[in-house]
Amino acid sequence: MRAAFAYLGRGSWLAGRDPRSILLAAFFFVLATPQLRDSRHLVAVVALALGYYALAGIPWHAVRRQWAYLLIVIGAVATINALITGGDTGGFRGTELHVLATLPPFGTEITAEGISLIVTQILRFVAIAAVGFPVAYAIAPGDLGPALRQLHLGDRMPVMVDLTVRFIPTLSQEFAETIDAQRVRGFDPLQRGGSPMARLRRLAPIFVPVTVGSLAGAEETIDAMDLRAFGTGKRTWYRRLAMDRGSWAVVAIFLAFLALATYLNVTGQSEHYLLPFLVD
Amino acid sequence: MTTMAQSSSSPWALTTRVIVYSAIGAALYAVFNWISFAIQIPGAESVSVRPHYGLLTFFGFTFGPIVGFLTGFVGNVVGDQLTGWGAFTSWHWSLANGAAGLVAGLFPIWMASRMTSVGSKAVTAAVAGVVATLVGFLLVFLGLIVTPEMDFNTILTTEYIPVVIANSIAAAIVTPILVLAWEPISAQLGR
Repeated sequence: MRAAFAYLGRGSWLAGRDPRSILLAAFFFVLATPQLRDSRHLVAVVALALGYYALAGIPWHAVRRQWAYLLIVIGAVATINALITGGDTGGFRGTELHVLATLPPFGTEITAEGISLIVTQILRFVAIAAVGFPVAYAIAPGDLGPALRQLHLGDRMPVMVDLTVRFIPTLSQEFAETIDAQRVRGFDPLQRGGSPMARLRRLAPIFVPVTVGSLAGAEETIDAMDLRAFGTGKRTWYRRLAMDRGSWAVVAIFLAFLALATYLNVTGQSEHYLLPFLVD
Repeated sequence: MTTMAQSSSSPWALTTRVIVYSAIGAALYAVFNWISFAIQIPGAESVSVRPHYGLLTFFGFTFGPIVGFLTGFVGNVVGDQLTGWGAFTSWHWSLANGAAGLVAGLFPIWMASRMTSVGSKAVTAAVAGVVATLVGFLLVFLGLIVTPEMDFNTILTTEYIPVVIANSIAAAIVTPILVLAWEPISAQLGR
C-alpha cells in the first residue's frame, strides 16, 4: 500500500511543456466549463478535453480504475439529481416536462428534461476530469513547487505543497506499518461489522499513532528549515522553468476557450438543451 | 545571539511551523482520503462517516486557522487527485473542507479563556469540530454555480445534510481524541 503521484505522462508532449501551462489550463477550464449548459457545446468541450488528455500520454491501464470510479460516481450523482428534480431545474424550470416513464413505488417521473440534464452533467464532469488528470500525471512531482513559485505565489505556499507531495509516500507507509503492528497484537482495525460508533472507535488505534507520530516527526523538519533560516529572506530555487512556444499555445487555447465560454454564457447562448430524439 | 526571527504569536502568521504542520495535515488528510477509496476502511463507505475528517478539525483547532484551511483545502485537492476524481473536478468541496478547518481554528482564539484544562479543551474541540462543519460546508452551495443542473433543495438534501451529519459525528469523536493524545506530547516537546 503506497500512495504517491506517479509520473505516468513522462516523455509525452504535454509533460515536456512548462508545468505552469498545465496548471493554468486546468484553472481556465474549470472557470469556463460550468458556464456552458448546452450539451452540444459540451460535446465539443469533451472533444477538446480528451484531445488535450491524449497529449499527456497517460497509459490507460494505469488509470482505468480511476475512470471507472469517476464515471460511476458522476452517473449516480447526475441520475439522483435528475430523479429528485424531475428535470424541472436549470433552463427547463417552469417549462412543460415530457414524462417518458414513471417509477414505482412513489411515482417518480423520468422526464426527457431530466435525461438531458444527466447527459449535460456527465459531459461536463468528464471534460473537467480529463483536463485534471495531466495535473497529477504529466507534471514531475519535483516541478510542482517551482511551478507554483513562478506563478508568483510566493515562497511559502509552494514549499508547503512541495512538502505535502513529499510526505504522502512516507505517511502511507507509516499507515501500513501501523495496521501491521496492530494486527501483530491481535487487533484488526480494518475488521468489518458493528455500529458506526464501534467502527470509529476501532480506528482510533490507527489514527492516533499515525497522526501524533507524524507531528512529533515534523519537529525535525521544522528545526532543519529554521536552521537554514527559512522565511527570513528571499528563497532561491534550484530549478528554473521556462515557457516555450508549446506552453504558450496551451495557455492561449484555454484562455480563448474561457473567453468564448464567458461570452456564450453572458449572451445566453448556452442554455440547457433538450435532446430532440427523446421527445420525437 | 538573536533567535527565531519568525516566531510570532499571531494565528495568521505564515511561519515555518505553520507551513510544516499544514503540509503534514494535508498529506495525512490526502492519504486517508486515498486509503478510504483504495481499501474502503470500515466506516468510510460512500457517504457514511469518514473518520479521517476529524483530522481536519483537529489540525485547525490545535494549530490555527491557516493550518486548518490548508489542511482541508490542499488535503482534499491532493486526495481527490490521488483517487482519480481530479484535483479540480469538485473544487468547491475542497474550499468547503478548507473553510471547515479555518473555522475550527478560530475557536481557540475566541474561547482561549474557557479552555483552562485538558478536559475543557477536548470538549471545546468537539464543539468546534461540529460548528466548523456546519459553517464550512455551507460552501458546497457553490455547486449552484459549478453544476447549474442542481437546485438548492437537491444540494441541501443530497449533499449538505448527509455530509454535515456524517462529518459532525467524525469531528465530535475524533477531534477530542486527537487533542487528548497530542496535549501531553506537545508539552513534552515544549510546544
